[in-house]
Amino acid sequence: MELGSSILENISVAGDAAHISDKAFISLVQAACQGVLLEEHRNAVAENPAFKDTDKAILKEAYSGLVTLILEAAKHDSSEQNISSVLEDCKFTTDRISSFAKEFLPQKPHVQLLLGKISSSFPHIVDVDWRLDYYIKNNHLEKVNSAVYLISLKTEVPGSNDIQEVQFSCSLEQLQDLVGKLKDATKCMEKLTQG
Amino acid sequence: MEEVDRIIVHSLRSIGCDIEEDVQSLRQFSTELIVATVARCLKVISSDLELPSSLPPGMSARFRVGASLANHVQDLGYKGGDLGYQTFLYSNETEIRKIFMFLVEKLPKESSQTADEPLGASVLLHRAICTELSNQLSASWTPTFMKDRGIRSRSKPPGWQREGACCLQYYHSCPTRTPVGTANLSIKLPRETRSYYTSKLPYVTNQTRVHRDTAPSVLEANTLEVAVQQEWETEWNSVGLASRLTQQEFKRRKRERLLKLIRDRLQQDSQRQERGTGPSALNDLQQVMTSIEAQGKSGLSKTKGSRFAHTEKLQYAKDEEKTMAQMGTAAPQDTEEEQERKRQDEVDGLREELHKVTSDLEKLDLEVRKFTASQQQMDEVIMTEEKSAEEKKAAYTVKKRTLDLLPEAEANIGKLQAVVDSSAQRLVTLAKQWESHREPLIQQYRELRQLHSQRESEAEKKLEEIKVFRARMKESADEARRKEELQKQLVSEFERMTKDVNRSAYTRKILEIVANIKKQKQEIDKILVDTKSVQKEINSLSGKLDRTFTETDELVFKDAKRDESVKKAYRLLAALHENFESLIHTVEDTGVVTREIRDLEEQIESESSKKILSNLEKISEDLQQMKKENSGLIAKVKGK
Repeated sequence: MELGSSILENISVAGDAAHISDKAFISLVQAACQGVLLEEHRNAVAENPAFKDTDKAILKEAYSGLVTLILEAAKHDSSEQNISSVLEDCKFTTDRISSFAKEFLPQKPHVQLLLGKISSSFPHIVDVDWRLDYYIKNNHLEKVNSAVYLISLKTEVPGSNDIQEVQFSCSLEQLQDLVGKLKDATKCMEKLTQG
Repeated sequence: MEEVDRIIVHSLRSIGCDIEEDVQSLRQFSTELIVATVARCLKVISSDLELPSSLPPGMSARFRVGASLANHVQDLGYKGGDLGYQTFLYSNETEIRKIFMFLVEKLPKESSQTADEPLGASVLLHRAICTELSNQLSASWTPTFMKDRGIRSRSKPPGWQREGACCLQYYHSCPTRTPVGTANLSIKLPRETRSYYTSKLPYVTNQTRVHRDTAPSVLEANTLEVAVQQEWETEWNSVGLASRLTQQEFKRRKRERLLKLIRDRLQQDSQRQERGTGPSALNDLQQVMTSIEAQGKSGLSKTKGSRFAHTEKLQYAKDEEKTMAQMGTAAPQDTEEEQERKRQDEVDGLREELHKVTSDLEKLDLEVRKFTASQQQMDEVIMTEEKSAEEKKAAYTVKKRTLDLLPEAEANIGKLQAVVDSSAQRLVTLAKQWESHREPLIQQYRELRQLHSQRESEAEKKLEEIKVFRARMKESADEARRKEELQKQLVSEFERMTKDVNRSAYTRKILEIVANIKKQKQEIDKILVDTKSVQKEINSLSGKLDRTFTETDELVFKDAKRDESVKKAYRLLAALHENFESLIHTVEDTGVVTREIRDLEEQIESESSKKILSNLEKISEDLQQMKKENSGLIAKVKGK
């Protein structure tokens, strides 16, 4: 986990008991986690009565430092040890380090889920409907007699809540080819987990 | 032996031998298993060997496989008795154990090698990804409607994971602002900035337009800062320190250099393009160049340059507008020719008038210029005249004085002489004084110069030292980082390691065994000492016996010459001695025999452990089979 020097300075402001009292610090960490996670709490720190006596400029500086720390720690999946070594560099007391860890670590998976949302993806197949038709003849040919699969893939597309369908028809061989490809992909994933 | 077997079985499993779970000792190994594992071991030791991993059904083929295995093991340097096909096909436990111990020792020590070379952070990351992926793969499929916005909970390890693509968002960030240096008392913040920070600046999580952009924006800001710092650090370490400038100075020079470079490049390009493209592109280039030049000239440059460019642009725009307007007015004139001609005349008249006026204006301008030039000339003339007047006035006063002095020439000359003398003397004293002042000043100057040069060299030395320190600092930081990584990796390795081989238990057992061996050795030593003492005693006793016998022999022999009965006694004595001698011999013989018996018993035991009977049966069966195969083959040959 690497943090810029101005960020480190901001974090050490948050750890300085002369600027932010112990009680306010805990509330500040909570507010930072909530502010990152939930849209309705994005400005909660401004309305929190716990920070009545704190200088607002300093509060803003400390708050942004903590927000950056929380996001970076979640991004790197830092353990408590890593976080505490960073905080020690910022001259935190052990009490504050432990209270930060106590507030942040339960929230880490949530922050990671939030960060996991930032991505781009192909349409994601979640389900499939299929139908097997028997194609007997048409106006040119008296006898065709072949099987036709109608496949409808249900996909999730990034940025929309509805499930979208991808429809196509294929012959038996084509379907077998597709299934083979899918199996290959699964095997590839399994190989990756052993790597 | 059980321990040894377990270790052997474990290491065989670790190289990929297919040994069933309940097999714990070598006694449970079947012939097939032995051949398969030995072949596997040999393949691991030298990978280019071609060996069958299972026993073929034919007897002769089996014999060949056994013989080739024996050959390969002997090639590796096995020195434990005779080794042949029978060792593998008709195995006995002790020999097989010996061979496996030898092979396990020969196995390449992969684990120690991998531990030595440090794995980077990327490998650790890769491993973490692997475990996470396997966790996700092990979960069963759940339909989408069971997930809350693509998030499903899992029980092992407890937590949540994201699946599907329904709630993904693209990366989008905006710049964020944070207050800087509000708590630092050494930096004086302007009051306006502080009040902006206090009352107007929104909190970080509230700065982006959409809340979901907060995380990317904050992360981007941090990454940007880290990258800039790293870049600057490397540059300052490689080039900046050597230039012996302060950081600000260095930055300023770099900016100047860059601006100059850009300017030169643009000028070159514009010159090259002068022939190629039209004037419009050239105009643009010149605009850019002028703006850059304006930037280079002054510190406040940016706004100025842009304003300049702006006005220029405006001018061009105006010109265009004008032409557009002309075009516009030209259009309706086509309808009425009369009007057009009139207007044309009017325009011509006006134009002529304009020409006249402008030429007048020019003429007047010229005149004005001429007048101003002549005025300047006049001013100069006046100045020179005034100067000469002044000079003349000075000359006049000097001459007047000399004329005043003329009447009493002698006395005045004397006075003047005296004045001249005194002034000459004063000059000499002044020169002396100057000398006396000059000497120490020069001395001081020289000292200071020396001091300065010393200081300079010292500074250079210090700079050198700083460089060395910086390098060392970097080195140690690197070292620390590397060590940390190694430690992390070792910890992860340790966690990943299979815990079924209880290392501490083994070491404890080994220590116990060593202690046992020590105790046994002590006991052996004691017994050796005992036997030695017994031997000594025997020797001394036999010596005593010999001596007493010779003594009595002599005494009795002396008396025997005189007395007949004594003679008999002497004979009896001799017989007694002989009998005892034979008795001793017999005892010794019995000892030897018992020892032999023990040896033989041991041999019998060892032979019986070799499963000779069953092996013999097997061999005879195999022989039968072989004979059958041979006869079958012969029949086949004959049938052909």
